[in-house]
Amino acid sequence: MYKIFVLLKQVPKSQNLQIDKNSGTLIRKNIETIINPDDLNGLELGLTIKEQYGGEVTAISMGPLQAKAALREALAMGVDHAILICDPQFAHSDTLQTTLVLKETFNKIKEYDIIITGRETSDSSTGQVPFQLSEALDIPLITDIFSFELENNIFLCQRNFGHESQNIKVNLPVLIRIGKHFNEPRHIPLLGIKKAFDKKIEIFNYECFDCPEYIDGCNKSPTQVVSIEKFYPKRKNEFLNGTITDKTQEVIEIMKDHGIERIYTGKEE
Amino acid sequence: MDFELTEKQKLVRRKVRTFAEDILAPVAPVVDKELRFSWDTAKELSKINAWGIQMPEKYGGACLDSISFAITIEEISRVCPSTGLSLTVHNSVGAYPIYEWGSEEQKEKYLYAIASGKKLAAFTWTEPNAGSDAAGIESIAIEDGNYYILNGSKIFVTNGGVASVFLIGARYKRENGQKGIGVFIVEKDMDGLEIGNVEDKLGMRGSSTTSLYFHDIKIPKANVLGNISDGFKIAMQTLDVGRIGIAAQAVGVSQAAYELSVEYSKGRIQFNRPISQFQGVSFKLAEMATNIDAARLLVYRAANLRDKNKPFSKESAMCKYFASDVAKEVTKEAIQIHGGYGFMKDLALERFYRDAPVLSIYEGTNEIMKIIIARQILRGNL
Repeated sequence: MYKIFVLLKQVPKSQNLQIDKNSGTLIRKNIETIINPDDLNGLELGLTIKEQYGGEVTAISMGPLQAKAALREALAMGVDHAILICDPQFAHSDTLQTTLVLKETFNKIKEYDIIITGRETSDSSTGQVPFQLSEALDIPLITDIFSFELENNIFLCQRNFGHESQNIKVNLPVLIRIGKHFNEPRHIPLLGIKKAFDKKIEIFNYECFDCPEYIDGCNKSPTQVVSIEKFYPKRKNEFLNGTITDKTQEVIEIMKDHGIERIYTGKEE
Repeated sequence: MDFELTEKQKLVRRKVRTFAEDILAPVAPVVDKELRFSWDTAKELSKINAWGIQMPEKYGGACLDSISFAITIEEISRVCPSTGLSLTVHNSVGAYPIYEWGSEEQKEKYLYAIASGKKLAAFTWTEPNAGSDAAGIESIAIEDGNYYILNGSKIFVTNGGVASVFLIGARYKRENGQKGIGVFIVEKDMDGLEIGNVEDKLGMRGSSTTSLYFHDIKIPKANVLGNISDGFKIAMQTLDVGRIGIAAQAVGVSQAAYELSVEYSKGRIQFNRPISQFQGVSFKLAEMATNIDAARLLVYRAANLRDKNKPFSKESAMCKYFASDVAKEVTKEAIQIHGGYGFMKDLALERFYRDAPVLSIYEGTNEIMKIIIARQILRGNL
């Protein structure tokens, strides 16, 4: 019975995010929200481990009360339990403050074997929490795995390492950070939706923890986002002349200049 | 009164929409072109419990309410109306009557397989000489010991070529009219059942429509659905439920054509401006949006009455008649907005246009819907 935890965040769906000009932050009111896309892969991995090796999956999110909707979706997907960490005291936490609250959460949970996170969130893209959390809990972190096995509390996996792969063996507990291409998140079954609304989402607030003084949301966050601006990437068009062979050769050179070296030529090297 | 969906119903809409766009969108034009039912799609639908949307969990269903059922059929039909048809028929006139009138043994034997999508179901009534005149069926099942011996034929059977379980209306007495009609559960591999060729159709080409021929089929008495003398009543009440699904399907078809029209008219520039800025086009969009909304609300109202165990026969006839007419009108206007492009097979629009007409024909023509509504009105149910 492995105790599996998947961390997820509720993020705005729209690709066309609006920024509040006064506060310089994202407008989060009245917009459609979704589970952060990477975290869906995390949920899929958690459920796969449960199905293959047995266990219980708990989804954890930190955010305002409306983040319950994201956890409800995780329950519909098939996770067993859901916890929302929610308190005004934690509002506007940066990644470090978030990590410290998560540390308190796992100290309170006590028993955990596998913690899973995505690479980054689509609304802030810092990607720092997995690294910080593994430090805070003092457990190993493995990133970008592409296959795994579990055997007697030992996690065996292969991870991408440039053009090679590493075989890694690690004792539980472990923190795993996975990317989008690792798996294909399942479609949510209708029965799952029915069951999700029969389940309770547990709320962890400030009072639940014996929080040390250094936990204080935005007041103790070392990073402050001063403002957000829209970024318009500049695209450059380049026209290549010559025969198709010349043009192909030139494209290959350009790709090489950009660090794309291995080119499939159809021939054995 | 609350016009907003519950959180659960909203989640159903979002997730079924994602499913439809991922899984159905790539195959919808293919099954239409090739005139075939997709078993791969059927398997995917099993994974999300779509073959037993309202059936209890113990029978492999998803245990949702009628509004969630309507939402599911709408969202599936918004992408692939053919799949919407196979699904709604299976759910509402296949699984539902067995759940409502079936014996424990029949539920045990058939319902789990049906609701989980392991076996598909079909409901058959129409015959060469009995369409709108539903009491005019001639198929006959004569009692013989522990069996009924069935002879006759059925036409226009939705899911005909893919179903394993058929609910068949037939006379057990040589009488005319509504009396003496029973509903029988017939399995695909019973001796004497002949399944006709898949019909080539204008639309809904991804669903399988066939004729059935009965040659002395020995049906065990245990396979009579409910009280044998209640056959006609069972059929009429089943169709009341089925019409909610067909209406939801029509809303999905309309929604698809409408969304394509909004998108196209905003991008198509003529006379130096998007055509959506011309009143001639924008009024069409406004009419579509209003009619679709009205149709959808009628569907939800009928579904809601059903969930509350209140009479909904008139309301389901109303939503079916209105929504299917809206679908024909919206798909027609959508093609007009698209101009020549709308007429081309490259766009999905012409498929929705071809799928629309049958909505006002099957599960009771719109003329029959008006008779049902009028009868209720004149009986005092204003």
